[in-house]
Amino acid sequence: MTEWRGERNDRDARVQAGRVHADGKVVPAGSVVDLLEAILRPGDRVCLEGDNQKQADCLARGLAACDPAKIHDLHMVQSGIVLPEHLDVFETGIAKRLDYSYSGPQGARIARMLYGGQIQLGAVHTYLELFARYFVDLTPNVALIAGVSADRDGNLYTGPNTEDTPTVVEATAFKNGVVIAQVNQIVEKVPRVDIPGDRIDFVVEADTPFYVEPLFTRDPAAMTETQILIAMMAIKGIYAEYGIRRLNHGIGFGTAAIELLLPTYGEKLGLKGKIATHWALNPHPTLIPAIESGWVKQIHCFGSEVGMDRYIRERPDIFFTGADGSLRSNRAFCQTAGLYACDMFIGATLQIDLMGHSSTITQSRVAGFGGAPNMGSDPHGRRHPSDAWMKAGREGQIVGDPALMRGRKLVVQLVETFGEKLVPTFVEKLDALELARKIGLELAPVMIYADDVTHIVTEEGIANLLLCRDADDREQAIRGVAGYTEVGRGRDRAKVEELRARGIIRRPEDLGIEPLDADRALLAAKSIKDLVHWSGGLYEPPAKFRNW
Amino acid sequence: MAGNRAASADPDALSWYEATARQRVVALADPGSVREFLPPTERRMSPHLPLFDLPRAFDDGIVVGRATLDGKPVLIAAQEGRFMGGAFGEIHGAKLVGLLRAAIELKPAAVLILFDTGGVRLQEANAGETAIAETMRAIVDARAAGIPVIGLIGGRAGCYGGGGLIAGTCSRLAVSEGGRISVSGPEVIETNKGAEEFDSRDRALVWRTMGGKHRRLIGGADAFCADTVAAFRRAALDLIGRAPAFDLDTLEAEQARLESRIERFGDCRDATDVWARLGVNDPDSVPAMDTRAFDETVARVREANHDAR
Repeated sequence: MTEWRGERNDRDARVQAGRVHADGKVVPAGSVVDLLEAILRPGDRVCLEGDNQKQADCLARGLAACDPAKIHDLHMVQSGIVLPEHLDVFETGIAKRLDYSYSGPQGARIARMLYGGQIQLGAVHTYLELFARYFVDLTPNVALIAGVSADRDGNLYTGPNTEDTPTVVEATAFKNGVVIAQVNQIVEKVPRVDIPGDRIDFVVEADTPFYVEPLFTRDPAAMTETQILIAMMAIKGIYAEYGIRRLNHGIGFGTAAIELLLPTYGEKLGLKGKIATHWALNPHPTLIPAIESGWVKQIHCFGSEVGMDRYIRERPDIFFTGADGSLRSNRAFCQTAGLYACDMFIGATLQIDLMGHSSTITQSRVAGFGGAPNMGSDPHGRRHPSDAWMKAGREGQIVGDPALMRGRKLVVQLVETFGEKLVPTFVEKLDALELARKIGLELAPVMIYADDVTHIVTEEGIANLLLCRDADDREQAIRGVAGYTEVGRGRDRAKVEELRARGIIRRPEDLGIEPLDADRALLAAKSIKDLVHWSGGLYEPPAKFRNW
Repeated sequence: MAGNRAASADPDALSWYEATARQRVVALADPGSVREFLPPTERRMSPHLPLFDLPRAFDDGIVVGRATLDGKPVLIAAQEGRFMGGAFGEIHGAKLVGLLRAAIELKPAAVLILFDTGGVRLQEANAGETAIAETMRAIVDARAAGIPVIGLIGGRAGCYGGGGLIAGTCSRLAVSEGGRISVSGPEVIETNKGAEEFDSRDRALVWRTMGGKHRRLIGGADAFCADTVAAFRRAALDLIGRAPAFDLDTLEAEQARLESRIERFGDCRDATDVWARLGVNDPDSVPAMDTRAFDETVARVREANHDAR
């Protein structure tokens, strides 16, 4: 006789075992370890909510404190490896396998543990890809999530950092999994219901509010003239030329400089209303001057940003907010928006090779991808036209029936030829390939593949890869903007001049930009304090960004 | 170049914090009055940095020269915080010491030192430390000869290490909100005493403890300016006019004041505790105050103004 309810019965038994440590659904912070040891089974797939920003840190500490004799060989399936505890569990044997997306702050340690064989790596995913697998072959048995508050029935208010939570809960709660939420406080009534209570099995009142990483704050005071020059070229040579209205920005200083140049340089070029109106973007503080100057129509967010809550609350025409007034973010939807509804992705990377493949993975750091590969890829499932998309399509496609031509998403890499500590950005071979060889990965962790990249912008100029017609064009176009790196110095000068004549490489002077005009005086805000002033005092920067 | 274009900018609009040393000097002085000594064209560079394979600056990171300020002759030195954090090396220090010694002969209305320094350059530490000592000696001599030495502090690197010691010997100091004055820097304190003692990444804490507002409130600086070159110019003119006498009475008063400061505030855990004891009504609101509100607050703190700093 076939058993059709095995998983369901198993789930019920786990919940039953957990109830011993709970009053209804509510579990005191001191009983977390007991609760987890009652519910988890060796080999479980577990999502310990570690998002790009929000961290279920109380539950992470609890999991790390479990007895490895009882709980071991877990398979962790979470988007972010951010807290030390996320890796501690692999050192003690509590966890064994890992499938994830992003590991910024733990990038160096994760690399060491991968080399050391302490982690069995499934894959480094993009966000959407990992979320997709939650519903196919990586469905969690137990999800440990984080929210701001909950009532005793488990109705959960995530606060502005909703991020991955709805996706994780959807996959777990509706497929016989157990969902445990940590909250900063238990309340009578939540400000708004982000997750209905019948999807939450246990609520833990955490000892301290969950940790949120301010990832998207770039201090204008640290912006250099080189970054400003690159930003000017991008605005004039790409945003204006393609008429980019719908877009996503990465988190680097280059794109932050673009945000700060919109109300000054962009205004001077008469671009207001013509570019950068609709965004899939975290609430970047550096976008405040552009918002306040009326450039921005609307922004949908993956997550929130520390200090931006009051500002967002007072700008509901711009942001997606709930009935309670606070931001509602959603990583899965925003990633989808970035993939399908934006005409351009522009961001930075650590390494670019001669064909234009790029990766943020170096031999000593495995930072992961986050959302860049989704937003930085040409979605073959797109079926709506836009001027920017069609223009890029025309530039890239020269063969075939013009009636069957489709558009292209613009995927722009904005880099300085030398990165931090004068490490060259342009390389013959990506470190990612060496890493893949050393730890035996079938697929090298490439962030954006060459065939998705349309432009590379450096302080030396713009390389338009859409217009390249063969591999030699492409290689020389990349060498031609690679400055004084080995790759740049290895250029064929005559070929590069030919590419310039064809408009494939454009120097600042070809764009009518005087490099010496790239001055910090162009920045709409020169400091965090200027951003506070722009926001009318609504932006409340975290202490680490203040100099007053 | 970009520097020149911005240098001709309106001193009312030019940010002191943002400006280069040369931009500050040019915009601070009367238009067209600056004459630089040993300018970059002379290429007086550090003899030590090549040993470490480090790039050098043609002016070794300091601008010195003469100019007029409201028609009065002054000598000016300005450290370039963007070159090695404005740190003192052999040539850098010699230019400053030479300028101060020249003051005895030239008898200007004042010597202005535009500090922007992290202290001594590690790569030429002995020469740098010597330069600090010589500078302090030269300042004392200049002051003894009746020449006020005014320090202006509002640059990115702040005024740290030996720079903080030198500032202590000046007749008067003007500081902006962004300016910082101290001896040990935040990272040094954290390294030696731990993040529990001083979290160098908590920038609000750093500025509360070492920033311009705190120094002004406790009387460690004599004027507080908005972050513009014009504001520093006004402050400099004002301070030249009221430089304290340099005699035994002043020094003894300074010593007494330092002792009483330790006694009064030694047990405070945070600058806001100090401000509360000074009689500031709402200490927590001080960091966010604009210049005007802060000036009003200072006006109510009696001991902020004192000949003995």
